[in-house]
Parts: sequence; structure tokens; C-alpha cells
Amino acid sequence: MPNGKKATAPAKPRRDVLASLRMASLEEISRSSLPAEIVSSILDYLDPVDLIRAASSCKLLHEMAYDDTRWVQRLKRIGCWDESDARKHAERIYGTVANMEVVEEQDAEEEASGAVPTISIEKPPGSEVNAISDGFDKIELGKAATQLEPLENEASDPDLVVLEQARSIRGEARQEYGKIHAALAPLYNDIAKSGPTTDNLVFTKYKDPQFQAKLLSQLLAFSNCDMTTGWQGRVDRLEGAVSMFEAAALNEFRNGYETDDIDGLMRKYAHILFALNGGKSALELFIHHNHLVTRKSELGSLSDCIDGITGKFKIQHTQAFFTRLSVAYNEEITTINRVFPSELEVALPFMEKVGQDVLFPFLTAIFDELHRINKESYLTAISVTFIQCMNLSQTLLPIRNSGDTFDQYLDIVVTRIYEPHIDLYLAEELDFFHKGCETTVSDWDRQLSEQAASTESFLMSNVNRQADKRDFLTSFKKVIMMPVNILPSFSSKSNEDSKSDSENNDDGTPKNTNRFSTMSTSSPKPTEEAPTTELAAKALIMKSKMEGIRSLFSIEIALSLVHSAKSSLERAAQFVRLGGTYGKAAKNQCEAIFVTLLRILGHQHVLIGFDKAVDHLSNYRPREQDDRDQSGVEPLVTFLELVNVGDLILQMIDVFYEQELIATRLTDRNDFIDPAVKEKKRFEQMLDERVAAGLNKGIDVLMEEVDYILATRQLATDFNPEVSSDPHRQTMDVGLSEAATAVVDVVSSHTQMLVGSTDKSTLDVFNQEVGLRLFTALCKHLKRQRISVEGSLKLISDMNHYFKFVQTLRNNELLLYFKAFRELAQIYLIDPSDAKELATLIADADRFQGVWRVEEVYEFAERRADWYHVKRDVERAMYGIGCSLM
Amino acid sequence: MANITLTSSDGVDVTVERTVADRSVLIKNMLEDLGETGESIPIPNVNEAVLKKVIEWCDHHKNDPPSAGDDDDNRRKTTDIDEWDQKFMQVDQEMLFEVILAANYLDIKALLDVGCKTVANMIKGKSPEEIRKTFNIQNDFTPEEEDQIRRENEWAEDR
Repeated sequence: MPNGKKATAPAKPRRDVLASLRMASLEEISRSSLPAEIVSSILDYLDPVDLIRAASSCKLLHEMAYDDTRWVQRLKRIGCWDESDARKHAERIYGTVANMEVVEEQDAEEEASGAVPTISIEKPPGSEVNAISDGFDKIELGKAATQLEPLENEASDPDLVVLEQARSIRGEARQEYGKIHAALAPLYNDIAKSGPTTDNLVFTKYKDPQFQAKLLSQLLAFSNCDMTTGWQGRVDRLEGAVSMFEAAALNEFRNGYETDDIDGLMRKYAHILFALNGGKSALELFIHHNHLVTRKSELGSLSDCIDGITGKFKIQHTQAFFTRLSVAYNEEITTINRVFPSELEVALPFMEKVGQDVLFPFLTAIFDELHRINKESYLTAISVTFIQCMNLSQTLLPIRNSGDTFDQYLDIVVTRIYEPHIDLYLAEELDFFHKGCETTVSDWDRQLSEQAASTESFLMSNVNRQADKRDFLTSFKKVIMMPVNILPSFSSKSNEDSKSDSENNDDGTPKNTNRFSTMSTSSPKPTEEAPTTELAAKALIMKSKMEGIRSLFSIEIALSLVHSAKSSLERAAQFVRLGGTYGKAAKNQCEAIFVTLLRILGHQHVLIGFDKAVDHLSNYRPREQDDRDQSGVEPLVTFLELVNVGDLILQMIDVFYEQELIATRLTDRNDFIDPAVKEKKRFEQMLDERVAAGLNKGIDVLMEEVDYILATRQLATDFNPEVSSDPHRQTMDVGLSEAATAVVDVVSSHTQMLVGSTDKSTLDVFNQEVGLRLFTALCKHLKRQRISVEGSLKLISDMNHYFKFVQTLRNNELLLYFKAFRELAQIYLIDPSDAKELATLIADADRFQGVWRVEEVYEFAERRADWYHVKRDVERAMYGIGCSLM
Repeated sequence: MANITLTSSDGVDVTVERTVADRSVLIKNMLEDLGETGESIPIPNVNEAVLKKVIEWCDHHKNDPPSAGDDDDNRRKTTDIDEWDQKFMQVDQEMLFEVILAANYLDIKALLDVGCKTVANMIKGKSPEEIRKTFNIQNDFTPEEEDQIRRENEWAEDR
């Protein structure tokens, strides 16, 4: 170490001997007193002046006192040391870490610091102070060689900016501090001595308040490094002086504000106060005495916004309020931009103030009042004003320099305003929706029970159902997809609903003819009118078509429920964007609304309708009905229509779900524990179950009907014309029998109705079941008939007819049965003389695709009118001569 | 609370409360490491007079809350000393230095700080010559060096 030091410090050999002698004596003294680290910590407590005096007492203390870190510490306390700046500076001079010189220097530093704990007497025999400081600087990553003369002359008085111009250079901290001390210490000591008066050196030396402010703020920073006994009193005095100055400046500022001297007094003193201590006080004064706040009553009053009589909430008036507010606000912002320096953070506090003092009381008053008188307007008001608040941000001028954060601020302010209301609102929204739905449904139920169920008239329209539904759904989708603008759509929509209601009431029970007229008049409408009206019109058409199931459930109710769900959802969804807990709560509430919609619509409306329809079905006894002129089985038709409507509602819900919940990201489709998804699944499941149960019953009813037709319409002469007493009967009638036509008509009309209304698998099962049951019924029927050779032609054409019908069902398995039927009919065609042929036919199981066993075919053969004539021959042909099966 | 016996460098046993002894981090750690064996703890660097002085201080400060964040840069390191400590430190300079050394050895941070502050206050306002006298330091600067220092630090001159 000594050698290294010597090498780096250019010491004059002449002084070496003397110096080492002196140090030896110093060593003794120091050893007897205190170790170096204690001396160092003693020096920590000295103020700069004393430190310099101590430094000039001996070399050891000199070294310690000059220690750069000591002065860096002070600069840090004052707040004008920038570590990264210092590092940059060092790197610029010495290059990056890879540089060898730096490494060497680090080594030297380590060596030196390792030597510190014991007092090192073997200091390099620096004869010159320069040499000492050089060596010292080296240790401290010194930059003595790079001392730059400060070239500052930008301000008239460098003292004014002494803190700003302090440089962060390692090794020069003491020099920098010296400059600061020279500039500020006299002023500081003056205030500390004489206390805050107008005669302080600061105020007498500098006349311009701008300079005074600047110096005072520097003094405040400077006071941070005063640590010797009594600092508290000195700092207090300085603060006293500052507050005295601040009060005076603030007074001027207020004068400026009151006299509207924006660009003069206000601007000047805002800048002065900013220079002094960030201008907080000016800002506060400005905000607290703001014209916008003091004159808030001019913006609009509570009574304007609520209709005193009806308790309705007036959107226009709040909108006017917001417009006035934004105008007033923008005026203030221009003032702010002119008055305050751009660095000052005015935006948030000002907006907060406006939010808390103007918006909040106004809105709260409205909400409270409405909550008391009218729940629905309350809900509307909350949501509408929320949107208006959000829209406000577009009209507001941004405060200078606030940039992107401006919107965030606004959100924060708005959030704060709405926070206290959100919970109540969400609860009320759900409650309101729930109650609304229930009343709608129960009202409808009541009306229904008042009307006699006997007026139930079912009108089967043969219009293409699927096309209708698609049409209806398209317009429904359009309405749902309408951009979320609650403001106008609220009023118009509710009008729409009521309008369609009244229209429907006017229509009463439309007859076939005027139903078509409604259609023709309303169908051109949609192209010109808004989707809402289009939907209403379509709903009307649907409604008129669904006359038949009016007693079960109404598509209109479903529509209006969906409508109110939509408006509730959209209102609540506004708050989702608040994020955080409130956003989450809003989200949950939206889902809850959806779930409620499904529950009420599903369980209380659709479900009951289905149950009723199924009930009707199971109670249906075709034979008890007198009225046979209808082409269909009444309850089954009703039920099938119901399935259609159910499907329609399901699709509506689906569209609604997609548009309102998925598209707006309120819920996640893949989240299977999500309550909305679960409820939707349950709804679908429930509907499917009901449809399946109903279809089951429906098949029974249908088959009973088929049986009934077969029993009543099939004449004995159909297949056995020989027994007819009709003299005019045609021979070889190959047409269809009346019964077959009727049966096919009945069955096909019902199966057709289901197409596209329920899911394919259900439909397939239904068709198969219908087919099989029809087959069984026909088998039974056939075994009751007696068929002559001549009549068999009719039978064959009947069978062909059935076969053609079954073909339309597109079920291959089923087709097999009826193919067998077709073959079977040929049994009767064979001439009685050809018993052998007949026997082959009966025994040929393959021919009937394995549908019947030989015995069964034999049974059918027994139905031949001439069976007793051919029986012997046939049996002989089948089982051989003399051998009898029986 | 158990008592601890300390033996000074000149062989005198001094008995103190555990809480008092715990002010010294050195003793505290030792007791925690070894457990209370009941044997006396030798304090080889501190004589009886100084040990008693230190114990007096520890006794007075035994209920002080532990100081937190001592090395925090933002804390204002003031030279303010409370009244009792000021009186306590009114001793001759030799004793003062001994107490500081003992506090350093025994690792009693607060006492060490008080000692350093006291010394700092002694230096305060003194000229270099007076400082030398007070601390018995010899001037090892040449006149040129002294002049250099003065020129470097003109700002520190009383104006």
C-alpha cells in the first residue's frame, strides 16, 4: 500500500523524512485517543464549516473530512445529487467497466478502504496539498484531472439557480457543496438569526418576488443538511419566513382571481408559488374558491331533472346539466392552462373537486329522490348519468401535460362518484327486473284465466314455418345487435312495447283473412323503419300466427321479457368498465339478470305452457270429440306449435346470450361453472325434456287418431268389393282408399310441423316411433280386414301410399317395414288357383326382409277372402301332402 | 430478572440486571449464544470506573425502544443530545474517550452516538488551532498546505 500510494502520488522526496517523522508522532497521539471509524463518525456530526476547520488541523482529519462520500451525502440531503448522472459522468471519462483503468482504480479503492479501519500513519509523504488531494481523488475514483470550470451565466445571478446547476461528479462533491454553501448559507444564517421578517437578507437583497421565491425554495432544500444542535429552531424560522412569503403571494394571487386578472397577477403569482414550494397552496386556493364550485347551482337544479308529478326522470335536463358543466369546466381549464405552470399537477385535484363538490351532490340528490319516488326512473337515471359522465370526458378539454392519464383521472373521479351507489343500484336493478318479469307473467296468467279457455281457437297456417322463424329471428338479432345507446333507445323502446301491445289488443282475434292483410301491410315496413319497429311488426305477425297457443304461452311475453332484460343488462353493463370489485359485481349482476330471465321465462312461462299442453294431450280422447272436420288433432297441433315457439324462444335466448353476454365479454362461454352458462344449459335441457315428454304423449294421441280413422273410415268394401251391395261399383278400382289418405294426411301433417323446430335427434326418434306405431296399427288393421283378389289392388295402392309417406321421413330402417308391407300385399293378388305360388310366397321369409316370421305371414294370408278355398292347397304346398301343421 | 456478573479489566466484579446488560449487543449476543451459565463475563478492555459509567448509562436507558433503521440515509443525523445524556457526558476528556471506546467495544450504538455527538459539539465553533489543542493533535501541515486548504474552502470562512 505505501508503495502503491507513493507511485501514484507525485511526492517530493525532499520532504519524505520530515513527513514520516511527523506522522510517527501523530500515530502516538491518535492511538491514545480514538480509532479512525469513531473519528469518522464524529466528523459526521460536524457542520461543514467546522468540518473544514477540522480538516485544516491535521492531515488525518483532512483526509477524513475531504472524503467525498461525506459531501455526496450532504448534496443528497439537499436533493441535488443524481446518482445516475454521476455514473454516466464516470463512464464518459473512464469508459465502461471493461476498461482496465477502471478495474485498476477499483483495486486501488479496495486497497485503500481495507486500510481505513486502522489509522494509517504511513500516508504518502505528500508535501503539497495538491499532491494529497490528487492521491485522495484517485481513491475516490477521482476526477481532479477533469475539473471543469462551471460556465454558467444564464441567469442574471447564479445564486438563483445554484442548486439546479450543482453537478453530480464524484470527487467534486465538496467543491459543489462549497458553491451552494457560499450562495445560500449567508441568507440561511440571516433568517436563522433574525427570524422571519421582511428585513431578511433574502428580501432585501432580491426585490423580484420571483427570485425571492426561488431562493426560499432553495433555502428549504438547503436546510435539510443542517444537522447540528438547534437545527429545529433554525428550520422553523426559515419555514416561518417561507409561510410569510407564501401568505403574501397567495393574497396577491387571490386578488388576481377575484379581479379576473388571469394573465397578470394570477399567472405571475402562480408561478412564484410554484417556484417556492410546488404551488400547492395556490392550487388549493384556486380549487376551493373556484367559480365552478361556488356557482354550481347555476348548472341545474334537482327539481328540473325530476318530473314532480310522475316522478319520471328527465334525461334532457341532466344532459343540459352536463353540457353546462362541461362548458364551465372547459372555461376553468383554459384559465388553469393560462395560469399555472405546466409542471404543476392541476388536473386530478381539480377534477376531483368538481366531482366531489358539483357532480356528487347533484347526482346523489337525484338518485336519492328518485329512489324514493320511482324505482324505474332511479335505475334509468343511474345508468344514463353514468354514460353522460363518461361522455363528458369527450367534451372536456384535457389539461395541459396530463396526456393519457387524463382519462384515467376522469375514470377515477367518476368511479368515486358512483361507488356509493353501485351496490344499491345493482341490487335494485335485479330486483326490479325480477319483479317486472313476474308481474308481466302473472298479469298474463290472470288475463288468461279471465278469458274463457274455450275461446281457444287454433288456426293452422300452412305458411312455411321455418322461413317465418328465420325471418323473425333476423329482425330480433338486428334489435339485439343494435349499438348500445341507452339514451334514445330507452324511451322509444318502451313506447314500442306499449305500441305493439295496443296494436295487438286492437287486433283482437284476427281471422284468417285479416291476418294476411296484417302481414301484407306490415311486411314492407321493416325495410324503412328502425329495427325495433321492424321487430314489433314481426312479433305481431308471429303472434297472429301463434293464435293457437295463446292460452299456453305468448311469444310477446317472451319478447318483452327479453327486452327488459336487455335494457337492464345494458344499464348494469355500463358499470362493468369500472373494473375492480365494482366491475366484478356489475358483471355478476348481469349474469344474475340473465339467469333470472331464464328462470322466469323458462319455469314460470314456457314450462307451465308445456305442462298444460302435455296435459291437454294426455286428456285427449279422439272418439269423444264431436268435431271431426279439423284436419289435425287439436291438442297435438297446439303442442307442436308450442314446440315451435319454444324453439323460437330458445333461439331468441341464444341470440340474446351471444350478443349481450358473450359479445360484450360479460361471461365466458367456456366457463362451465358460470351461472349464466349453467342456467342456459338447464333451460335448454328443460325444454328438451318437455318436448320429449310431449312428443311421447303426442304419438299416443296421434296413433289413437290413426286407429280411429282406420276403424271408422275403412269400409269393408274397400278391399273386398265383391261383398258390396253398391250396384254401381266399378270393377278393378285401383285408387286409394279413403282411410289411407286420411291416415297419411293426419300423420304427415303432424310430423311436418316438427321439422326444424326441435333438434334433429329428437325429430328422428319421433319419426321412427311414429313410423313403427303406424306400422303396428296397420298390421292390426289389416288382420281385421278381409281382402279379395280384386280388392288387393286397392290394398297395394294403399300400401304404396304409406310407403311413399314413410319415404319422406328419411328413415331407412322404417322403410324396410313398409317395403315388407308392399310385398305382403301381393299375397292377396295371387289367384286362388295358384296355391303353390302362394305357399312359396308365404314361406319366403327373405321377401319380407325378416319383418315377419312365416307364421305371421300365414296369419295375413288367412285374411284372404277366399282363404278357406285355398287353405288346403296352400298347406299342402307348404308342408307336403297329408302333413298338417295344425 | 436474572442478574449478570461482569468482570472489568482490573478484576472487579460488577453485577447488573439482564435488561441493563442487554443494551450491549456484545453481551446480549454472548448470553444468547452461551446461555446463562451464572459465570461472570470478563470485559477485558474496560476498567472498573468506565464500566460503572457505562452501566449507569445502560441502566438509565434500559427501557428505551430499540432504534430502527439506524443506517437510513434520509434520517436527519442531528447533534441534539437529550438533557440527561448531556449531564452524563460532563466528564473529563479522557473519561469521555474511554466511554466512547467502551461503547464501541461493547457495541452500544446509542451510547457511541451520544459520545460522538459530544465530541462533535466540542469541536464546534473552534478554530483549527483550538481543535488541535483540544485533541492534542500536532499540526503536520506546511504553511503552503494550510494556505491551499484555506483557498479551496473560502466559502467556509466566516463572513
